[in-house]
Amino acid sequence: MRSGTYKETYAQLVALTDSRLVWFWSAVLLAVLFVAPYYLNAYALSFLTLILITAMGALGLNILTGFTGLISLGQVGFLVTGAYAYAIAVSKFGWSPFAGFLLAALVPAVASLIVGAPSLRLKGLYLAITTMAFSFIINSVILEARSLTNGARGIRVRHPDLLGVGTAGDVAFSHLCLVFALAALFATLNLRRSRVGRAFVAIRDNDIAARAMGINLQSYKLLAFATSATMTGLAGALYGIYLSFVSVEGFPFLLSIEALAILIVGGLGSTLGAILGTVFIVLLPEATRLVFSAVSGGAGGLFTTGGQELKSILYGLVIILFLRFQPRGLVGAWHDLKRAWVNWPLRY
Amino acid sequence: MTTLLSVEGVGKTFGGVTALTGVDLSVARGEICSVIGPNGAGKTTLFNIISGVLRPTTGRIVFDGVDLSGVRPWRFAATGIGRTFQNLALFKHGTVVENILTGRHSHLKSTVLDAIVYFGRTRREEIEARRRVEEIIEFLEIEHVRDAVVGTLSYGQQKRVELARALASEPKLLLLDEMVSGMNQEETEDIARFVLDIRDEFGISVVMVEHDMRIVMDISDRIHVMNFGRKIAEGPPDAIKSNPEVAKAYLGGHGSDHGGSAQTRIANVGA
Repeated sequence: MRSGTYKETYAQLVALTDSRLVWFWSAVLLAVLFVAPYYLNAYALSFLTLILITAMGALGLNILTGFTGLISLGQVGFLVTGAYAYAIAVSKFGWSPFAGFLLAALVPAVASLIVGAPSLRLKGLYLAITTMAFSFIINSVILEARSLTNGARGIRVRHPDLLGVGTAGDVAFSHLCLVFALAALFATLNLRRSRVGRAFVAIRDNDIAARAMGINLQSYKLLAFATSATMTGLAGALYGIYLSFVSVEGFPFLLSIEALAILIVGGLGSTLGAILGTVFIVLLPEATRLVFSAVSGGAGGLFTTGGQELKSILYGLVIILFLRFQPRGLVGAWHDLKRAWVNWPLRY
Repeated sequence: MTTLLSVEGVGKTFGGVTALTGVDLSVARGEICSVIGPNGAGKTTLFNIISGVLRPTTGRIVFDGVDLSGVRPWRFAATGIGRTFQNLALFKHGTVVENILTGRHSHLKSTVLDAIVYFGRTRREEIEARRRVEEIIEFLEIEHVRDAVVGTLSYGQQKRVELARALASEPKLLLLDEMVSGMNQEETEDIARFVLDIRDEFGISVVMVEHDMRIVMDISDRIHVMNFGRKIAEGPPDAIKSNPEVAKAYLGGHGSDHGGSAQTRIANVGA
């Protein structure tokens, strides 16, 4: 058991972690994530990149739904807005990728203020439906605004050159996604231990008490929407580059459900949970396919023909199973495991 | 003593239901007041109006020279009004420290961008906030539970955390809504001691809504009695104990003999 750790300054109390072990293993993980793309084959690398992008989107939803308790089914709306903002700026107007990423952060944030406005009055299911409607409205707008978005034909997006460094190769692009995901991770961790993050959580747990503590509910709810949309929008831009093609079909409504499934599986409101949930949900269809192919060769074929349908069945199944058997999510299981490890052979 | 809070002719109706009618009440600086009355007398409604949760239908409230009718609900904390709630209103998934830190919200300045970077001024601000929180934790003697998740604590401890959270906002006026309900003798005495210390050490005025006559009679400088949305009496504990109107309100007596027995009862409890 860890013992003999004393905190002598208040600065140590507000630090992200006081454990050298945690910093050490985080550094190891980071090094592995940096080196792995050089050794993985193209297929495995695409999963790594996808996990990094999805983690960023999940962290974005975690701010809104996990921290602030505002259920959003419209995350795909922010994702697609970010992707199109980038694609239009870079591929159509020929602006620099930096401008593209800036727009991919700003445009969804502005859109989120519009969809967030009703959230000042709506709660729970009603808010979920409003945000869902938003994502469908965005799709219609994109399909209709043909001069800007090419309508249903979509926009081709090339891997960007940043500061003279090309990310055309899959390895370089994976590194770019790693940088973004890391930034999102630290942003979320810092947010959670500061005044703003505490205000978000206070609104989720008890809004009347939150207001009595001096928290302006309206502006903080909008702030949660804008922060979440910014992060999700940037993830959308990366996803567009990953697909190398931005179109409405590339961003199905299922992505909103996937994001919620990630939070439920990981553990709602936990940053570590969002990461664990991402890894689990992104690899789940692939793992299931491998199992099915091993059992019978024919069943594996189902995943190529009916991939989307099987995915939605799987997401539904894991949401139900986790809510029933592990409502605290993977992060809850992780904490239980840690406690058991520390206390063994005693029970507590 | 100068007046800190003055409630002037405040009335509140919910649709057709009248909760408060023409309530006048004033609290001096450094005073400990109690508001008592039977269930449904409008005590909590009055608290909700003073703390900005509800708006009065008529009348106005002047706090520290400021008319509160023009103040937005979330600014009440910064104005200097702190409160606890009748049924616990903690952020139950957070730790004790996080809950108390939330109480310091209106004293911190960092924006979302500062928070994301968490460097320089923001970090110093958080360290300073944490230092203040540790002082309050020490004052209220809850050091041993500081890292516990609030939802896992006992009722008495949760009440104490709520008190700590209210203190963290550095109020000039502290509203305590049924602080000791459901507490045993020892816990009640602790709270009474804290309330006196809060007044004496920090110079904070305290208004309590309370059903527990022991604490009311023991530590109040002045007691306001309410019934059916009106204030029916005001005065120091001894005067309230012997007030026939008050006894009638509590026991609903009509004749003098009923009133007499009720009077004795309240006097006994207070003794």
